[in-house]
Amino acid sequence: MDKLPDKSPDRTIRSLHITAFAGSVFALILSVMLILNFLQMKRIDPLNSRTLILLNERLKTNPEDKTLREEIRSLDLLARKAFFTSQWQIRIGGYLLLISGLVVVISLKTTDFIVKISPDEPGRQKLDFWERQSASRKWIAGAGVVMICSALILAFMTDHELGRDLEHALGGAVAAKGEPANANVGSDKANRENRMVELPADVPGMVSDSVTQSADQPSGFAANPVGFPTQAEIRKNFPGFRGPGGIGIDHHKNIPVSWDGKSGKNIIWKTKIPLPGFNSPIVWDDRIFLSGANETRREIYGIDAGKGTILWTTVIDKVPGSPAKAPAVNKETGQAAPGMTTDGRRVYAIFANGDIAALNFEGKIVWVKNLGVPSNHYGHSSSLIMYKDRVIVQYDQRGSAAVMALAGPTGDVIWKTQRAVKVSWASPVLVHTGTRMELILAAEPFIAAYDPENGKELWRTDCINGEVGPSVAYADGRVFSVNEYSKLTAIQLGEQPRILWEDSEYLSDVPSPVATAQYLFLATSYGTVVCYNVLNGEKFWEHEFDQTIYSSPMMAEGRIYLLDKLGVMYIFNASDKFQLIGQPVLGEGTFCTPAFTDGRLYIRGNNNLYCIGK
Amino acid sequence: MFRKSREFWLLLLLMLLAGSSFAIQRFPRPEFETGYQQPETMLPGPRAEIMAVVDLAVLILALSAVSWMVLKKRSRKGVFWVSMFSLVYFGFYREGCICAVGSVQNVTLALFDPTYPIPLTVLAFFIIPLIFTLFFGRTFCAGVCPFGAMQDLVAFRPKTINSKVDAALGMMPYLYLGLAVLFAATGTDFIICRYDPFVGIFRINAGFSMLLFAAILLLTGIFIARPYCRYLCPYGVLLNWISRFSYRHMTITPAECINCRLCENSCPYGAIKIPNSVKYAETRRQRVRKLMFITLLFPFLMVGGGWAGSRLQETFAGVNRTVKLAKELLVSDQNGQDVESFEIKAFRSSGKPLTEVYQEARIILHRFLIGGWILGAFLGLTTGLMVAGKLLENHQSDYVPDKGACLSCARCTDYCPVMGNTMPTELNHKA
Repeated sequence: MDKLPDKSPDRTIRSLHITAFAGSVFALILSVMLILNFLQMKRIDPLNSRTLILLNERLKTNPEDKTLREEIRSLDLLARKAFFTSQWQIRIGGYLLLISGLVVVISLKTTDFIVKISPDEPGRQKLDFWERQSASRKWIAGAGVVMICSALILAFMTDHELGRDLEHALGGAVAAKGEPANANVGSDKANRENRMVELPADVPGMVSDSVTQSADQPSGFAANPVGFPTQAEIRKNFPGFRGPGGIGIDHHKNIPVSWDGKSGKNIIWKTKIPLPGFNSPIVWDDRIFLSGANETRREIYGIDAGKGTILWTTVIDKVPGSPAKAPAVNKETGQAAPGMTTDGRRVYAIFANGDIAALNFEGKIVWVKNLGVPSNHYGHSSSLIMYKDRVIVQYDQRGSAAVMALAGPTGDVIWKTQRAVKVSWASPVLVHTGTRMELILAAEPFIAAYDPENGKELWRTDCINGEVGPSVAYADGRVFSVNEYSKLTAIQLGEQPRILWEDSEYLSDVPSPVATAQYLFLATSYGTVVCYNVLNGEKFWEHEFDQTIYSSPMMAEGRIYLLDKLGVMYIFNASDKFQLIGQPVLGEGTFCTPAFTDGRLYIRGNNNLYCIGK
Repeated sequence: MFRKSREFWLLLLLMLLAGSSFAIQRFPRPEFETGYQQPETMLPGPRAEIMAVVDLAVLILALSAVSWMVLKKRSRKGVFWVSMFSLVYFGFYREGCICAVGSVQNVTLALFDPTYPIPLTVLAFFIIPLIFTLFFGRTFCAGVCPFGAMQDLVAFRPKTINSKVDAALGMMPYLYLGLAVLFAATGTDFIICRYDPFVGIFRINAGFSMLLFAAILLLTGIFIARPYCRYLCPYGVLLNWISRFSYRHMTITPAECINCRLCENSCPYGAIKIPNSVKYAETRRQRVRKLMFITLLFPFLMVGGGWAGSRLQETFAGVNRTVKLAKELLVSDQNGQDVESFEIKAFRSSGKPLTEVYQEARIILHRFLIGGWILGAFLGLTTGLMVAGKLLENHQSDYVPDKGACLSCARCTDYCPVMGNTMPTELNHKA
């Protein structure tokens, strides 16, 4: 809309235009000054003065330096003065800018009021009503389509796993109509402390889970297994040797304390395992997995946890690169000593000849490969451990020791880190130390931790001599390593891990220790169990069972479960006083470590797998 | 000499850029080793309760004054000066808070969360402009809303927007209103306040994004009058609806319209209905088809919109603090984070059970699912109604304001040559 100036107030309009012009020039200058001030302050950044930071660092090393202290104070005062002066300038400048802006606007608006209206020539834009309506309809419909498309694009770009993750975190309980489930999974303060202290291995990161139950499959089968399990899933199951994270701490409830293999008391079922193996059972949902092997045959078994029926047996053979003849191994190690592991989508097993296989829950081979026959004079025994959707292999052999992560779905090597260590029979442990996940391995000459994401070494401590069988224990930021003919070492983690204490009175050849925030329980191969104070290595108690022990102690419900070679389970309180709770007998010798689920215990004897419970 | 458009652009841009210099962080407290005790943080005392009454009185007086200026005096100047007063009082003095536009969220939250005690002043600021609108049209927009006043100040060269573009952009306020209600109803956020473009100017203190938004709106406002009011304001949606039924809305002409067409392009908001005397010669078949189309369109748009909205459940919920915390906790607990955020640390130290957060997050997520459906269906319904509205015939012989879109600014009255029953000679001549 044009406006024609009336001739009479020309002078006023001119004055107003000059005022507006002057106001805008003033505002322009102010704006430039304020912008420069802002840029200068951003460049100087008194909040993070490098000089002050450096001087403060110097003061930390020499806190008594009074001259330095005074210098810091002077500089600090200067920085503050600069900052507050700048603040004052900004505020005053802002007000002046606002006033000058108002002057400009008022001048121009007044001009508008003075100038008389000259309406447009009518008739120029006369449009047909129905044409306008029609065009508007199309544009509105177009805008609606744009909104829907934008919504869909946004929806597809969004990760839709939060709901599922929350369900899993809440224990998988499905609440109707959005009402909270009564699942008890999370961690109240006590639980959290428990997790961080006694149960530190809040194991492998698992973010998503896409397992779906198929109606035509038995429960527990992962119909389209992708992703990796949540922490809740892992705790609900028993995914590897010595439980979640491999630290010997179990989270299940109502674990039995009495049974008798001979009379069958509390023995729910017993199943003969075709081939021998010293690997311990692992459990996922209603499936138990074991491997067995001799010199000519390697097998993996999927067993129904409810009835003990062997549902499938998968033979691992004709693996490219696999040696025609099985390596010579010690009879107490065998061809199938390493524990299996599972991520709930696949199950993984490794044998003494270097064959490693991933199977789905129906026993079908997903991938299989040979890692090269390990140069290991007793036979490879390091168990597998899972992290996210990968399986980690400690492959400490003579000449080319390494640790590697293989992709669960494909078997591709995600990372591989060479290790300057000797042969090790210990298994990896995966823990969350409060700040990060650490994969901790034991082998002569050191305990070392690695980032499970990329295999980068995080720290190492030289404290091992000789052959290493036991895996480390972990609790509350402390790592405990032990091996025969060497020493027991407690390492305090931190920026620089340091040795907290050492002891060499009782040492273990095979069983791995288990620790809590207060106690360390060590079982020697010759049957003595010792309870230490984790802080200083002081012994609370020791007890001799006088039997050979190869199985590792497990802690569940505040009790320690320890099997001897004859199949007698010693159950005692995990406390600073020895209190034997029970001594049930399996009736069959065993080398293995038991697996736990709610109300049940699974023990692999020399020939049979036992399910114990009520 | 000063040439308005170019210089003003530059000036405005620089002023707004300069505003970013306010966004600097505050200096942290010094650390003393001498045992010096930091003084207690002093909080300003609460505003005297009587001032809330003053605010309400000012609101009612301003609304009355504008309504009087528009309906009785038909004075654009009068409306302008009241709007300047409102800009100073509700804008710079009250710093954009309390505000009828934002009160939509308080009312929504009060409806969905019985534990939220909505202040009576806020409720009054929500209702009183609506009541005035029901009687006198959108006089609140004309001279009481500080946002409108601010934009009116810079509307130097308003251009008429093409009606089809105007119609399409007219859907934006519905979207904004829907989102504001959704986020308020779920206790997630007051997005109208968070993204208020003018409050930074009122308070002479704003972050970069707020200033940028204000800059875009004000620069646009030079050529497109009141862009926020027309294409964003969620409260404007309610006023638009109510104004259609207003008891006594302003008219362009004080007496009979002489169809001189001088006002035809006078409205910078395109809110003047042009007379349409041409009847559409529809066959019976065409009318049946149109009816069928409209009938089928609504369920399709509402279900389609609802479904699309429900798909945004997690996108929307991601804004919620509890859901965000739950998400971070899930990742942290499951994946192991090297460095935990302050939020996680604060949560850990609170001793609150983790399950509680997860359960809360799940409930909120479910609310967003329902909310997404409702929002989508609402937008589908709105789109359908707008399309259907463009299918209806509109016969009128005079130039009249579109009662919904008209902001009652009274600009058009200055263009009307009709003075009661007489006509000034000069303009009569031109007409």
